[in-house]
Amino acid sequence: MDNIAGSKSSLTWAVHISVALLVALWLFPTVGLFVSSFRTADQISSSGWWASMFAAEQNEVYRTADPDGTRVADGDMFVVSGNIFEAGLEGRSISRWGTSSRDVSAYAVGETADMGDGETMVLEADGSYEWRGTDDQISGRGQRIFATVTAPPDFTTENYETVLLSGNNTDNMAKAFYSTLTVTIPATIIPIVIAAFAAYALAWMDFPGRALLIACVVGLLVVPLQLALIPLLKLHLGIGIGKGYLGVWLAHTGFGLPLAIYLLRNYMVGLPRDIIENAKVDGATDFQIFTKIILPLSFPALASFAIFQFLWTWNDLLVARVFLIDSSGTTTVMTSQIVELLGTRGGNWEILATAAFVSIAVPLVVFFAMQRYLVRGLLAGSVK
Amino acid sequence: MNRTLKRTYFLGAAVAALVAGGAQAQQLTIAGPWIGTDEEQVQAVLDVFREQSGVDARYVGSDSFEQQIVVDAEAGSAPNVAVFPQPGLAADMASRGFLTPLADGTADWVRDNYAAGQSWVDLGTYAGQDGADHLYGFFYKVDVKSLVWYVPENFEDAGYEVPESMEELKALTDQIVADGETPWCIGLGSGGATGWPATDWVEDLLLRTQSPDVYDQWVSNEIPFDDPRIVEAIEEFGWFARNDDYVAGGAGAVASTDFRDSPKGLFASPPQCYMHRQASFIPAFFPEGTEVGVDADFFYFPSYAEKDLGNPVLGAGTLWAITNDSPEAHQLIEFLKTPEAHEAWMKQKGFLTPHKGVNPDAFGDPTLRKMNDILLGATTFRFDGSDLMPGGVGAGSFWTGMVDYAGGEDAAMVAGKIQDSWDGLK
Repeated sequence: MDNIAGSKSSLTWAVHISVALLVALWLFPTVGLFVSSFRTADQISSSGWWASMFAAEQNEVYRTADPDGTRVADGDMFVVSGNIFEAGLEGRSISRWGTSSRDVSAYAVGETADMGDGETMVLEADGSYEWRGTDDQISGRGQRIFATVTAPPDFTTENYETVLLSGNNTDNMAKAFYSTLTVTIPATIIPIVIAAFAAYALAWMDFPGRALLIACVVGLLVVPLQLALIPLLKLHLGIGIGKGYLGVWLAHTGFGLPLAIYLLRNYMVGLPRDIIENAKVDGATDFQIFTKIILPLSFPALASFAIFQFLWTWNDLLVARVFLIDSSGTTTVMTSQIVELLGTRGGNWEILATAAFVSIAVPLVVFFAMQRYLVRGLLAGSVK
Repeated sequence: MNRTLKRTYFLGAAVAALVAGGAQAQQLTIAGPWIGTDEEQVQAVLDVFREQSGVDARYVGSDSFEQQIVVDAEAGSAPNVAVFPQPGLAADMASRGFLTPLADGTADWVRDNYAAGQSWVDLGTYAGQDGADHLYGFFYKVDVKSLVWYVPENFEDAGYEVPESMEELKALTDQIVADGETPWCIGLGSGGATGWPATDWVEDLLLRTQSPDVYDQWVSNEIPFDDPRIVEAIEEFGWFARNDDYVAGGAGAVASTDFRDSPKGLFASPPQCYMHRQASFIPAFFPEGTEVGVDADFFYFPSYAEKDLGNPVLGAGTLWAITNDSPEAHQLIEFLKTPEAHEAWMKQKGFLTPHKGVNPDAFGDPTLRKMNDILLGATTFRFDGSDLMPGGVGAGSFWTGMVDYAGGEDAAMVAGKIQDSWDGLK
């Protein structure tokens, strides 16, 4: 009797645990990316993000102040003193240290290191040091100090500043944001408008060859867009559109239409026949039926396709590269801008992690604003 | 009402887009692989050109330049000038008729004004669509690959000297091991291009064990890949990379370590390794705040004292070619011949030039000058062989073959497989 609707299954706890596990599994990489976006490149390459949240013991290399400017005479000896922890590194404490790369934990804190010929160094746990020696020894560059340091968690917002404010081309992130919107909004609206009309015609208007047309649309769904890139660009150049916003809108429209028509048509076919026939009997034209009945009823399907199309055009790099970004350098999109921030050899993980979070901000807003239609729209046409 | 407003907006935007596409007066477009800081530096050079010529030169960098330029050339929307990171792609595009030959006399100029001039002319000369050879590419900005990076203070702490010959380098390697440390950091990982750092090793070692003729014949496949002399060079690389004691992380870590991360072992505490062989661009991946010349330095990857092969230098470079003919494009190439064009980038970072007429004091950074001296003092200069081989080998089976070799496969077998893939391309 467990399966009767309304009564609780005794396996609820198993369901809850699996759901929790699945959610954790899905969130795990995202959390890692999020934590990484607050770390510097050196931190990312030296330790994992999971280690960043706890105080960790690590070996670091520091350098004393430059002796030539800071040394103080003390009898016939010279002394350089200071603290190896610069501003911002407070809260660290040293356990062992050394002055040679050969033995990085030779001394305990407070111990005096004998560096030969009377040259000495003392380092305290808080990072303050005193380096003492003759004129000759205390010169040139600062002495290296190898320290085993326990550092508290250290995060920075520098990456976000780089990506948003002070990237290579300072104003370009804002410019890229607006040009991405300029690409995305029309590229979402145009295919919806066209597809809604087409879907109505394919669903409710009787004309010869209708089934064949639907079959063609379904067939077009499987054609990869990469096939069309060069011929389409040639066409655009040939008829004078060139590379630009108009070209990229048309390209996105074309590539989005098959799915849009297919999805909307299947949804519209599922609307009750009686309403439409009643409207016809009352003398409504096809256009009136479309605008007054079909469109309001199809809102969930329209919204869910809008989400698909918006996300796809927002994240698109390929179509923008081919149809929008020309060699005059005046047009760009966010994705392309982010790729450029990665550097010529693409090694900047911290920028990658940060850029990922910056670029998903808008799609997240769109998704949460419209997600209640998504599930309804996904079921479009599946239940009659 | 709302809908009418929207429609007007779209119409306006569409018209604006059309108009913007049409207006292009005195504009010179340049596409290249440099982005980020490199892009800022090339812009500084183009600033000088803009000022001198009044041409509105615009540079756009892309990390997928190699794909982008082919798409644009095929569709007919190519920029005026393209900067190719390797000659193979340029040769391919020349043979399909997408490049315009440089002005007459350019070849003579390069021969007279570049160190090892003839080799630069040869590297920029390809067969066009008509089958005739023309000079298509002008080399500007060169990288030197035969460098070994180290941390002078670590050498000082341990009492090591910079080796002057390959024999000394091998002795130093053994000594570091005897002292209980690890001499080398080697990383071959590079995403889809994993394996390329090993091809540089093999090329460098081939130039140090065989004459330059052998190298040239190997690159053009007149000597097969599985020739014993080539296999010997691969095994030379194995001497360094396939010994667990010689490489940080052990031989098994070589193929899986990213080349961008591997130099960081030099700066670790305690040092994970003492030496790293890599091209002149690698300081970009040193930890933040590392001062080249003080915190880290380099020496010439030495040649064998006992073999009389001089001082060979392996390098690479970018070549500029005209992809969409216009008078301004030729004007730009003329500009690149002037010492000012070279000095404008020399003042900045990461630029080396074989131009003999430039003032070496213009280098903004003494280490660059030291590198350029290595370049100018080379008895033999050879271009990165894997960039000259057909793409399927130089950017394919050679890379994967070296990963297999680093993973423990037999050198002769790997070389045989690479030769098979080359035969398959013919």
